[in-house]
Amino acid sequence: MLLAAKAIGVGSIGAAIWFFTFMFESAAGAAPAQAATKAADVINPLNTVWVLVAAFLVFFMQAGFMALEAGFARSRESVNVMMECIFDTCLCGVLYFIVGFAFEFGVGNGLIGHSFFFLHHDTADYNGTGVAFFAFVLFQFAFADTASTITSGAMVGRTSFKGDILYSLAVSGFIYPLTCHWIWGPGGWLGNTMGWFSGLVPDGVVFRDFAGSTAVHTVGGMLALAGAVALGPRLGRKFARDGGGPMPPHDVNIAAIGAVLLWFGWYGFNPGSTLSAMDWEGIGRVAINTTIAASAGGLVAVFFVYPRSKKWDVGISINGFLGGLVAITAPCYWVNPGAALIIGAAAGVVVPLATDLIEHLRIDDPVGAVPVHLACGIWGTLSIGLFASGDFGIPTATGADNTAPVEGLFYGGGAAQLVAQVIGSVTCMVAVAALGFGVMFAIRRIPGSFNLRIAEEHELSGIDEYLHGLPAYHMELGSGASYSAYTGASSVDGTVPAVRSEGEKV
Amino acid sequence: MHVVTAIVKPFKLDEVKTALREFGVLGLTVSEVQGYGRQGGKSETFRGSEYTTDFVAKVRVDVLVDDGQADRVFEVIAGAARTGKIGDGKVWATPVDRVMRVRTGELGPDAL
Repeated sequence: MLLAAKAIGVGSIGAAIWFFTFMFESAAGAAPAQAATKAADVINPLNTVWVLVAAFLVFFMQAGFMALEAGFARSRESVNVMMECIFDTCLCGVLYFIVGFAFEFGVGNGLIGHSFFFLHHDTADYNGTGVAFFAFVLFQFAFADTASTITSGAMVGRTSFKGDILYSLAVSGFIYPLTCHWIWGPGGWLGNTMGWFSGLVPDGVVFRDFAGSTAVHTVGGMLALAGAVALGPRLGRKFARDGGGPMPPHDVNIAAIGAVLLWFGWYGFNPGSTLSAMDWEGIGRVAINTTIAASAGGLVAVFFVYPRSKKWDVGISINGFLGGLVAITAPCYWVNPGAALIIGAAAGVVVPLATDLIEHLRIDDPVGAVPVHLACGIWGTLSIGLFASGDFGIPTATGADNTAPVEGLFYGGGAAQLVAQVIGSVTCMVAVAALGFGVMFAIRRIPGSFNLRIAEEHELSGIDEYLHGLPAYHMELGSGASYSAYTGASSVDGTVPAVRSEGEKV
Repeated sequence: MHVVTAIVKPFKLDEVKTALREFGVLGLTVSEVQGYGRQGGKSETFRGSEYTTDFVAKVRVDVLVDDGQADRVFEVIAGAARTGKIGDGKVWATPVDRVMRVRTGELGPDAL
């Protein structure tokens, strides 16, 4: 018996050796074909894989936004935060397929693109980037989705869902793609010629926004401001100058985790914006600049607020490092790590000051979208004109092209780049403010359920239960089955449950 | 002395508190509770199906008052909590035998 077991053991070892030999032989047999691949043939696949990895990271920022916004909100409005973020993502995905990408990255004129509707295209890659067309689209969709989510952050707790759908159509379908085309689109006036303002800067100096301090964050933050102003504050919100303060967050833990998820996603947002794996030095520089600016922003914001409250404030640490990330988003490619430290540290001061300002103006911004995205977006955009080191140009499909480096005021480049940055930041803000305030106030004036703001009685009884039919958290009694009966009422048979609804007239 | 207990809609709590403070009540205790009355629970929806939950979230307010004040406190609470729609809640009073302020050991109405 023992002998038989040994024989089986020896036999199976032999079989295993044979199996592994077989595997290695076949692998070795494939090697010559691999070696024959020319290096040039892998450039486009490499760039595409890099952009896709970055796109997946940027998409995951949605999870960060959802957790951050829900955590900073009151529990009665957190289901609404979840639902708006999911719905806006789905809406943005479809809109981007139909018109968004065409307006933003379509070939057209300096103001707007008008090709690639429904993603119809002739070339394998996008516009000579060496990135597969659809991979490029996915990366840019994730960016567009981010902008629409930033907007919802300042509008938490009182926005009607139908109103949310209406403004999201305008934001994702037109406003965001429009200004992005100016900056990043083929032939966009800010990124290529400076349009009407070309006389104000020397030839060759154009507006620079590497990963979107203006294109995504200033635009999203301005739309957030328009929404918050058009809506007015949540019922019961008293401001600091009236003896009140921000409504307390219902779950700081989930907000903090969400913020760190955003930081993680930013590693796709900024380094991915090289759109090229071949510019490997650039990717490394952008990644470390992003980290240093975020760290400096978080530290400075905490120390800036400490003397006031004598508390180590988690809320301001979160918005501080997010502010640092927003600020470094535009300059991350053109500055050195030392400059990134200063840019992020300044953002750590900008965030608390801007938070105080909108509190003073009696604007209810539940998550701080305006201080983080609008204020730090402006600062980051301008900082290129100050800190660009004069060493770096643009990334291309085959590597860095430093023949026309960007140089800021503090590095001997004069004020030209700063002027270009001011022109770009101001024109985008004016355009987005005009469109954003126009759209938000127009929806605010619609009578009935399509109004931007939910009815007072429903806001009081809880936006989650009214709009979405359930609260985020049940007080679970007994076995935890607070659902005691399935009424079966549905759109199919239309039966009415034998329960009178809360708030019903008797 | 009486303890006046009120079950009110959660979003009416701020108004009840303000009205009681203006009336001169110096302290109160609130708790989150769930229950049902004539409305018999409420319906919620999840994944396209509608369910009934037996228990509706309410806020319970307990106020200790001197004998002469109980009727007025009744009116103050009811006036602040009323919406005229189903689910406005109840107010009731219960006689209280004795009260002590823990910090000082004062007894009776002095402890209120």
